[in-house]
Amino acid sequence: MQNMESSRGCLEVATESGVRPSTGRAVRRSGILNRLLTALGVIGIATSFVVPAAADTPRRPNIVIILGDDMGYADMGSFGSEIKTPNLDALANEGVRFTDFYTHASCSPTRSILLSGVDTHLNGLGNMDEWTAPNQVGLDGYEGYLNNRVTTLPQLLKDVGYHTYMVGKWHMGKAPDQIPAARGFERDFSLLDGAASYWDMTNFTAAAPQTVFTEDGRYLTRLPDDYYATKTYTDKLIGFIDANHGDGKPFFAYVAHQAPHDPYHLPRDWRNRHVGEYDRGWDAVRQARLNRQIELGITPAGTELAERMWFLPDPVLLAPATRAFLGKKMELYAGMMENLDFHVGRLIDHLKEIGEYENTIFIVFGDNGAEGTDLFKMIAGTAGSRDFLFAAANWSQTHPNAWGDPGSYVAYGPMWAQVSMTPFSQYKGWLAEGGIRNALVVSGPAVKRQKGSINKGLMHVADIMPTLLEWGGAQYPKTYQGRELPSLLGKSWVPVLEGKAESPRTADDVLAWEVFGNRAVRRGDWKLRWEYKSFGKGDWELFNLATDPGERKDLAAEHPDKLREMVALWDEYVRTNHVVLPSRSPFEVMEDQLPPRVPDDRGYPPLTGKTQFIPPKDMMADPK
Amino acid sequence: MFEKIISRRSVARVYLVLASVITLGVLCPLTTPAQVPARLYWKTLSGGNAVPLMVTAANGNTNPFDPALVVTPGANVDATMALVGYVRTFSLFGRGATAAALVPVGRISGEVDVAGQRINQTARGFGDPTLEVCVNIIGPPAQMNLVDVLRYEPGFSLDLIADLAVPIGEYDTSRALNLGQNRWYGRLGTPIVWQIGPWVPGRRTTLEFLPGVWLFGDNNEYVGQTLSTDPMFQVDAHLTRDFTERLWGALDGVWYKGGKASVDGVEGEELNNVALGFTLGYQINDNLGLTFGYKSTIKDSEPGALQMDGFMVSLVAGWHPIVEGARRLKGEE
Repeated sequence: MQNMESSRGCLEVATESGVRPSTGRAVRRSGILNRLLTALGVIGIATSFVVPAAADTPRRPNIVIILGDDMGYADMGSFGSEIKTPNLDALANEGVRFTDFYTHASCSPTRSILLSGVDTHLNGLGNMDEWTAPNQVGLDGYEGYLNNRVTTLPQLLKDVGYHTYMVGKWHMGKAPDQIPAARGFERDFSLLDGAASYWDMTNFTAAAPQTVFTEDGRYLTRLPDDYYATKTYTDKLIGFIDANHGDGKPFFAYVAHQAPHDPYHLPRDWRNRHVGEYDRGWDAVRQARLNRQIELGITPAGTELAERMWFLPDPVLLAPATRAFLGKKMELYAGMMENLDFHVGRLIDHLKEIGEYENTIFIVFGDNGAEGTDLFKMIAGTAGSRDFLFAAANWSQTHPNAWGDPGSYVAYGPMWAQVSMTPFSQYKGWLAEGGIRNALVVSGPAVKRQKGSINKGLMHVADIMPTLLEWGGAQYPKTYQGRELPSLLGKSWVPVLEGKAESPRTADDVLAWEVFGNRAVRRGDWKLRWEYKSFGKGDWELFNLATDPGERKDLAAEHPDKLREMVALWDEYVRTNHVVLPSRSPFEVMEDQLPPRVPDDRGYPPLTGKTQFIPPKDMMADPK
Repeated sequence: MFEKIISRRSVARVYLVLASVITLGVLCPLTTPAQVPARLYWKTLSGGNAVPLMVTAANGNTNPFDPALVVTPGANVDATMALVGYVRTFSLFGRGATAAALVPVGRISGEVDVAGQRINQTARGFGDPTLEVCVNIIGPPAQMNLVDVLRYEPGFSLDLIADLAVPIGEYDTSRALNLGQNRWYGRLGTPIVWQIGPWVPGRRTTLEFLPGVWLFGDNNEYVGQTLSTDPMFQVDAHLTRDFTERLWGALDGVWYKGGKASVDGVEGEELNNVALGFTLGYQINDNLGLTFGYKSTIKDSEPGALQMDGFMVSLVAGWHPIVEGARRLKGEE
C-alpha cells in the first residue's frame, strides 16, 4: 500500500514536467530506454526499474545527507541550542526545518531504514547486531546487517546514473557482501563499527580490539596520516566529489559522521571554547533551550518540559566542582557539535567553489535520540573483567584535562542527553520522544517553501528513500536482481517540500517502532508506548503528544477505547513486519539498577531547599 | 542516589583530581641554594597547608648553610641538614600566593682556614629561619575553589618571590663554620613555570626557571673580622616530566655568578659555577609527596672553584580542610 502510494507519487511527478523538468525528463527518457531493452530481449533478466542515460541535461540535483550520530533534537542553533552551528543553521535558514521528524531509537536500525526504505524487522536490523536476542538468532529480519532481501537507496540512484559516495559510519555489516561498496556506494571511506575512537583504530573490547574501516571496498590496514574522523571523512568526500566533477553526473553523498557520538574525541583547540558555560547545570540549559525553541517557533508556547529523569539530581544541589566536572563533559559535546559544523561548512564552501552548491539538496538530521546510557561502563565497568583490563590499557585517560585525547572516553550522561533532547523525555534506546524525535533540515533547489520556514508535518526517516528516488528520477522496483522487494515504508516529501501539502501523512497514518523490546505506535496526536521499567511501566502507556509532548501524563486508564485501538494497530504492525519481541534486552534489569521511580515534583523535598533563616535585627541579642 | 547516575567513578575522580594537587605545588619554598627542587612553584588551592621536611647530605668546599657559598679552597666540609617548616597558600589581590617559614637544622663539620691555619670545626643546632613570600604575577588567577583547581593549567606562569633569612641561628663568633650566618640576607627572584604540552597527570612536562639575586648584609663578627659578600646571581633550571600520574623526574641545573666575598677588605674570588643534577618525585598518596635528588658542581677542579655535591630527600605533607572533609565523608573512597 505504501509502496503503491510512493510509486503513485513518482508518476504524478512525472506528469508535472513544468514544475520539475529534470525529474520528468529523466522518467520519460527511462521509458525510451525500457523499450530499447525490450527490443533487445534482455528485459527478462534485467531489473524491473528503469535506467536513464548517464549524462544529465538539465542536471538532476546532487544530494547530500548529513547524519549526526546521536545528535540531539535541540543541538543545532536553529533548533534552540546555544551551541554555535552557523553552517548547519545556514542550511536551515535557506531551507525548511521539520519539527515532527522521526528516526528509530538507535543507530543501525535508523540507518537501515534510511538506506533501504524498509522496516527494520524486514531489512535485517530488527535488532542491533550487538543485542540480538537468543530467540531472534537466525530469523529473517534479524541478521544484524542490512540483508539482501532489500535493495538500497545508493544502489538505485547509481543505477539511474548518480555517483554514490559514502563517508563515515556504516554499522550495517562487515562481511564483504555487506559493506558500503557491496550495497551501492561507488566510493567510500567507512567505519564499519558502531562507534570508535576518532583518532585511531582502537576499539572498545578485548574480543574486538580493532575497529574496521573500508575505503572503496577494501579493508584498511591502517588509517591515513593525520587522521581525525570528522576531518578525514570530509576530506575524503571532497576528494570523491572532485574526482568525478565535470562528468555531468550528479552525486549522492551519504555523510554519516561519527560526531557527536561518544567518546568525545576532539582536537585540543576545540575543547575549551565553552569553559564554565555549563556549570549552571542541565535544568537551566534545558529551560533556556526551550525558551529559544518557543521564540524560534520550533515548539509551541506553553510547552512543558519533560520531567527531569527521576534519578538525576537537581543541579543546584550539587557542589560547584561537581557541576564543573559534569559541565565539562557538555563543554566537550558542544565542541564536538561545533567541530562537526565546521567540517560541514568546509563541505558547503567547497561545493560553492566548484559551482555545485546551488544544485545540491541537503538533508540534515541525527540518527536517534541523544545518548544517555553509559556505553563505556557497560563494556568496561566491572573491575577484573577482560574488558576492564582492555580499557585499563587503552581507554584509561580519565583525567578531565585528557578528555578528548586518544585513550579518553567521555560521554555526557543522561542529564545532558535530556538537554540535547529538549523538550522531550528520555533519550537514545528508548521510545519516548527523546529517543526517536529528531531535528530535520532540508534545503536546496527542490525546496519551494519559504526559506527558513518551519513545518510540523509528520515525517519519518523511511520517507527519505521515496523522496530521493523521486528527485533522482528513479523508481522503487518490485523486484531487484530476481528477488521480490518489501514495500517501502515511507512517503515522499516532495509535495510537502513544494508547498503543496503540510504533511506527507494524514491523521490516520500509522508509525510504529520496536527495538530492544521497547515498542511504540503513533497515529495522529496519539502515541502508544511500552517500555521496560523504570523508564516505562512494563505495560502500555498512552499519551497525547499535541498536549503533552513531554509524555508526562499516561492517559491509558482515562482512554481505554483509544488504548485498545492503538494496541490493535501495534498488533497489526507486528503481523505485517514480522516483529519478534526479544527474549533478552539491554534494559531487562534496568529497574534493579535505578532508584525507585518517583515523581519529579518541583521543590520536593523542601529540606535541601530551605535557606538560612535570618531573624529581625532588632530581636537579636548576645547570650546573657 | 546521585552517584547512581553521576557514578562513583566520576565523583571519586573529582576529589582525586582535587586532592592530588594539594601536595604538589604548595610546598616548601626552600632557600637552600644547593638544592632547589623542581615543581616548587606550581600553584594550588588557596587555603592549603603543607609541612615540608627536607634532608640534605652535602659535601664540598663551602658551607651549604650559607647561601653565599663562600669557597674555602681545598676545604672538605660535610653537612647533614634538614629543613622543616610550614607553608600556607592564599590569594593576594586575586593572584595565587604562598607564605612560608622554614628552619634549618643539622650539623656541619670540616676544615676551614682561620688566621692562615687550617683547622677542623664542627657545628650543630639551628640555622637561620627563613621567610618567603611568593606571589604569582603572570598566569592563571588564584585557585579560590575546587572549580579553579579543576581548571588550573600553568601555561606560562611567572611569580615574584622575596626571601628573608633572620640571623638568629646558632652562631659562634670564634668559628668560621656555623649554622647561622649572623647577618641578614635574602633573595629576590622570579620563578617561571612553562607548561609544555597537555596538563594531564602522567604526561605533564614543564620547563622551569628561577632567576634570582641574593643580597647579603655584613657579618661583623666573622672570627673577629668583617665578612662582606657582593650580590650573587643564581639561575635554577629544570626540565620536568611525569612518568606516571604519581612518578616524575627532572633534570636540574643551577648557575651561580657573582657573590664575591671579602674579609676585612681582602677580596676573594667571585663565583661562576654550574651544578647539574636530577630529581625523582613520587606522590605517595593525596597528602604525601616524596622526592629524591642529587646535584653536583661541574668543571670544578680549579682551586677557587665551588665544589659541592649533595643528596636530597624531601617529604612533604599537604592538606586542605575541604579535601580532608570530603575524604572523611566518602570513607577514603
